[in-house]
Amino acid sequence: MTALLLALLLQAAPAAASPKPAAEQATATAAGEQAEGPAAVIMHHVVDQPLRLGPLTLRSKHLVFFLIAALLVIVAARLAVRSYHGGKVPHGIGAAVEAVVLFVRDDIAEANIGHGDGRRFTPLLCSFFFFILVAALLGLMPFAATSTGNLAVTMGLALVSFAAQQYAGMSKYGVVGHLHNLIPPGLPVWLLPIMIPVEILSMFTKPFALMIRLFANMLAGHMVVTTLILLISLMAQIHWLGGVAMAPVSIALSLFILLLEVLVAFIQAYIFTLLSAIFIGMYAHPAH
Amino acid sequence: MDPKSLAFFAAGIGAGLTIMGGAAGIGRLAAAAMEGIARQPNAAGDIRGAMIVAAGLIEGVTFFALIVTIILAIKT
Repeated sequence: MTALLLALLLQAAPAAASPKPAAEQATATAAGEQAEGPAAVIMHHVVDQPLRLGPLTLRSKHLVFFLIAALLVIVAARLAVRSYHGGKVPHGIGAAVEAVVLFVRDDIAEANIGHGDGRRFTPLLCSFFFFILVAALLGLMPFAATSTGNLAVTMGLALVSFAAQQYAGMSKYGVVGHLHNLIPPGLPVWLLPIMIPVEILSMFTKPFALMIRLFANMLAGHMVVTTLILLISLMAQIHWLGGVAMAPVSIALSLFILLLEVLVAFIQAYIFTLLSAIFIGMYAHPAH
Repeated sequence: MDPKSLAFFAAGIGAGLTIMGGAAGIGRLAAAAMEGIARQPNAAGDIRGAMIVAAGLIEGVTFFALIVTIILAIKT
C-alpha cells in the first residue's frame, strides 16, 4: 500500500511542480497530458498486465497469481492429508483444513444436495471454496494481483460450475430426462411455450451471474482503494498542502476498505460455493 | 454535448441510483434480521448466516449495474 502511495505521489510530483497550468488542466478535463488521467490510472491498477521479474517478462500477472493460488491450495491439501497418516488425530494444518472441509460438506453440500450426492460433490465444492478464498487473500498483498478479478478466470470457474450442474442432472436422469425435469410439475399446458425458453435461459444465466458477481466484488474493492489513494495526488495537483491534508484521511479509509475486502473474500467464496451447491441440488433433486 | 461528457454525466447519475437501490434493499434486509434476532436471540446464528447470504446476493445484483457505470466512466 505504501508502495502504491509512493508510486502515485511520484506521478503527481511533476504536475505539482508547476501549479498553475497543472491546476487548469486538472479542472479542465480528466485526461491530462502531463500524466495519465485518473480513469487510466485506476484501470492500469486493476487490469491484467505483464509481470517483469528482472530479465524475465511473464505475460499475465493474473495468470501467475492464479497458478500461485492453485499451488497453495494443492500444497495445503497435501500437507493436511499427510497429517492423517498412521491413524493419528490431525494436528496443525490438518485440523484447520479439516474444519473447513467439514463446514463445506455439512452445511453447504449435504444441506443443499442431500446425503449421497452431497458427498459426491464435496471435493468440487471444497476446491471452489479454497481456491476463491486463497486467490482473494493473495490479491490483498502488496504488488500482488487478484486472479479472480479477471473475467476469464471467473468464467472458467462458472463453466466448471455449469458442467457440474449439467452432470448432476444428466448422470441421474439422462439427457432427455434432465431436460424434462426443467418443467415444473403441475404446470398448465398453455404456459409451456413461455416456460421452456425461460427455463433454458435460466440454465445459462445462473453461472453467468456467478461469474459476474465474483468478478465485480473482487474488482470493486481494488478500484475503491486505488481511487482513494489517487485522491491524494488529485488534491496535490491543486495545491501541495491539499495532498498533505488528504493523505491521512485517504490512508485511514483505504485501511478500512482493505479490512472489508478480507471479509468480502470469505463471503464471496462462501456464496459462490453455496450457490453452486444449490443449483446442483436443483438439478440433482428436482421437485417432483 | 459530446459523447464523452454525456458518458461521465450518466456514470455519475448511474452510480447514485445504483447505490440507492442496493442500500435500500440491504437496509430492509438488515432491519428484518435485527427484528428476528430480537424476537428469538437463540436463532441469532442462523439469522446471521441467512442475512449474509442474502446481502451477498443483493450486492451481486448491484454490482451488475455498477459494471455498466464503470464502463461509462472509463470511456475515452
